[in-house]
Amino acid sequence: MADETKPPAPATAAPKPPPGPPAPPPPKNPGFVTCTIDGREVVVKPGTNVVEAAKSVGVEIPYYCYHKRLSIAANCRMCLVEMSNAPGGKLMPGCQMPVAEGITVKTETARVKDQQRATLEFLLLNHPVDCAICDQAGECKLQDYYMKYDQKPSRLDMPKVEKGKRVPLGPMVVLDQERCILCTRCVRFMREVAKKPQLGVDERGNESFITTFDGQPLDSKYSGNVVDICPVGALTSTDLRFRGRVWFMSSARSVCTGCSRGCNTFLDYLKETTFRYRPRENEAVNQEWMCDDGRLSYKYLNSERVLTAFQGRGAAARDLPLPAAAEAAAGALRKAAAGGALAALFSPVASLEDLLVAALVAKEGLGLSEVYVGGRPDGWQDDFLKRADENPNRRGLELVAQAFGLALKPFAELGPAIEAGRVKAVWAVGTEVPDPAAAAAFARLETLVCQAYNHGPLAREATVLLPAAPHSEADGTYVNFEGRPQRFELAYWPRGGARPHWALAAELGRALGLAWRFQSARGVWDELGARVAGSLPGFEWDSLPSTQKRRGLVPLAAGTVDGRLPGYRERVPTDAVGDTRMDLLKVTR
Amino acid sequence: MPYRLDDTAADLRERLYFPEVIRGVGILMKQFLRNFFFGREKNPDMLARDRSLSQNATLQYPEERVPYPPGYRGLHRLVPREDGRPRCVACYMCATICPAQCIYIEAGELPDDPIEKYPTKFVIDELRCVVCGFCVEACPKDAIRMDSGEHAPPSYTRAAQIWDEKRLLRGPPVSYQYDPWLRRGASSIPAEKLAEMKANAKPFSTVATDEYAQTPGFSVKNLAAEAKARGETLARK
Ligand code: SF4
Ligand code: SF4
Ligand code: SF4
Ligand code: SF4
Ligand code: FES
Repeated sequence: MADETKPPAPATAAPKPPPGPPAPPPPKNPGFVTCTIDGREVVVKPGTNVVEAAKSVGVEIPYYCYHKRLSIAANCRMCLVEMSNAPGGKLMPGCQMPVAEGITVKTETARVKDQQRATLEFLLLNHPVDCAICDQAGECKLQDYYMKYDQKPSRLDMPKVEKGKRVPLGPMVVLDQERCILCTRCVRFMREVAKKPQLGVDERGNESFITTFDGQPLDSKYSGNVVDICPVGALTSTDLRFRGRVWFMSSARSVCTGCSRGCNTFLDYLKETTFRYRPRENEAVNQEWMCDDGRLSYKYLNSERVLTAFQGRGAAARDLPLPAAAEAAAGALRKAAAGGALAALFSPVASLEDLLVAALVAKEGLGLSEVYVGGRPDGWQDDFLKRADENPNRRGLELVAQAFGLALKPFAELGPAIEAGRVKAVWAVGTEVPDPAAAAAFARLETLVCQAYNHGPLAREATVLLPAAPHSEADGTYVNFEGRPQRFELAYWPRGGARPHWALAAELGRALGLAWRFQSARGVWDELGARVAGSLPGFEWDSLPSTQKRRGLVPLAAGTVDGRLPGYRERVPTDAVGDTRMDLLKVTR
Repeated sequence: MPYRLDDTAADLRERLYFPEVIRGVGILMKQFLRNFFFGREKNPDMLARDRSLSQNATLQYPEERVPYPPGYRGLHRLVPREDGRPRCVACYMCATICPAQCIYIEAGELPDDPIEKYPTKFVIDELRCVVCGFCVEACPKDAIRMDSGEHAPPSYTRAAQIWDEKRLLRGPPVSYQYDPWLRRGASSIPAEKLAEMKANAKPFSTVATDEYAQTPGFSVKNLAAEAKARGETLARK
């Protein structure tokens, strides 16, 4: 061979190193990465991916499989963008690629647009598009992106692939395998967040579908979250299924009352009915998850509500106006207080404002020095979100008691005290009790004044029953088990004759001759908040963070089908500061 | 002047007077006998009535009515499919678009049908309806139509004008070849019924035509008969 006969070249110079990649340019902003996205300069922390970097300057890159709290799968290909450092000029998945110093990202070019259309066409290829029966309609990424990036009719001229249409995965979740786009968000959620890898993908290609392992239900206590993160209508909630269209609903920023964690929620409601809770993002409390029991805990807001004041027990009960009921209650309580046979039972389900006024009336109006603590019995606990204590405001109750110098006594001591005849009258703010069987003892009482949300064992024994409004119908604050005060806002005005606990307690106080007057929960905080504010450093009453904008139907100017005023999914505008809701109310009511 | 009389001199016969009187009575008698002995033509289509014998043109309203033109938007109906279930899937599109906000729907779940969802409550307040037809346009399932050719029947109570799903679900069924229950079958529909439904199904039209907007042979008589069969009475009690 020619090469072999060639004499070796003289070793005059050391062989040149192969030309490697050029040295990265020095960072423009030390400690940060600077790049250009659609002509805009972006400065982000190293390791930020392109989707997030683009979001920070208001450039939207569409995505399905990416979720900022889950690992990155990069399997939907919706987020492909042009990046200047891509090998061979390929389009790169923006969810997976971290930005590098000095690169240029383009999201608006014809190539990117073309691939977005192609990806959507692919995703919609076998998608049944049954938006008319799909519960995701209105918050579906396929609908949104189709309108924004595709808008092409189908070219499919053969039957779509058919898969399981109605597969109950577990107590909370129903799967429609046809609608699934196999983004595997649900699979990753169960593996990484819920730590119960109960979901997986079966088969391949066209035939793939999400399923649980053979014969095992999706029974994790966090399964409801997969419904929220599913970008399409494949996973639907057994609870909300077909009960309402999301575009009719409005949302209030609320707090779950399922346990003492106080997960931040959106309370979705239509007229005077709460339809569901959705987790609201709060990195410090619940990130953006909540447990199934909390998710279902809204039901007491809707059912068996006490809506008018009653006097008398059982068949003798007759309803009467609130002031008259308060007079009757105050008279009976005053008499019992004078005889020293009065006990107050405060529920840690009531809000901080409720308890402030209740404590004020107990202390100044009735001269009590101790209160019994009611509340729901303990439940299960895990090391993620759920706490065993199912009362949202136990810490709040402790703070209030401390501030007013009231001693707290356990509920277990109340029953024996009644049996022994030491207690002849009870004023219950909230009728949740840890031990429903113990409620039987309350039948012996001469006077039982109950402020109750629902008809229940204790409310049945009431001599005066006052209708209380739960957190969906009031403003207020809960203090969670870590001592974190969290505000919730009124979703709709109290049903029927119901009033928040603080208003009922203030009415009692008025009948007892106290001079305090309160206009609103805000007013309660202004008057009495100073007494507990020392224990809640940095808390401001108008501190609800503003909500994020959501895509959805623009409400009709004429109003909505159920006759309610035109509303928004989130009633408070994105840039709301403070309690603008009150200003809105002036306009819309 | 409504009509002109020729200003000609009267001839002898006219001047004799009686022959003309007799002729006039004759014309009168002819018309009288014609209308008396030959029954009034009952074809509700006025223009198609045979006028060779009877010339009686009166319309016996409300038993007889002039047919409305094909595009007329009459009372709503919920279109049934052959097995009697509504085509409607309770998607709320009609309720959403309705400018009068007069449609109220509640959805329920079918356990044994590929369509899963149906309206457990579907109420239209016909008094509030502005007859715009938007609901028909908005329906993705061709499940609501205004092809009955009727306006709301008169009544003495407002409540009688609030039509619920039992009154709305009527008229001839419609099936399209791509309806999911035909494509996938349903445990709730027997096999032979399904075959029959498949045979009757029409291809889905992308162009609105009169044939799709109207159901021929749908009349107030049938409506009234149906209402009577259901024991409804709209008359004063
Ligand atoms: S997932 Fe979205 S596109 Fe698919 S049927 Fe549901 S609403 Fe329609
Ligand atoms: S069920 Fe939903 S979340 Fe799970 S893979 Fe399918 S589309 Fe994604
Ligand atoms: S015709 Fe118009 S006003 Fe009447 S129900 Fe339909 S959408 Fe509403
Ligand atoms: S638009 Fe059609 S399918 Fe949807 S609820 Fe109305 S009638 Fe039913
Ligand atoms: S979001 Fe990037 S590939 Fe799915």
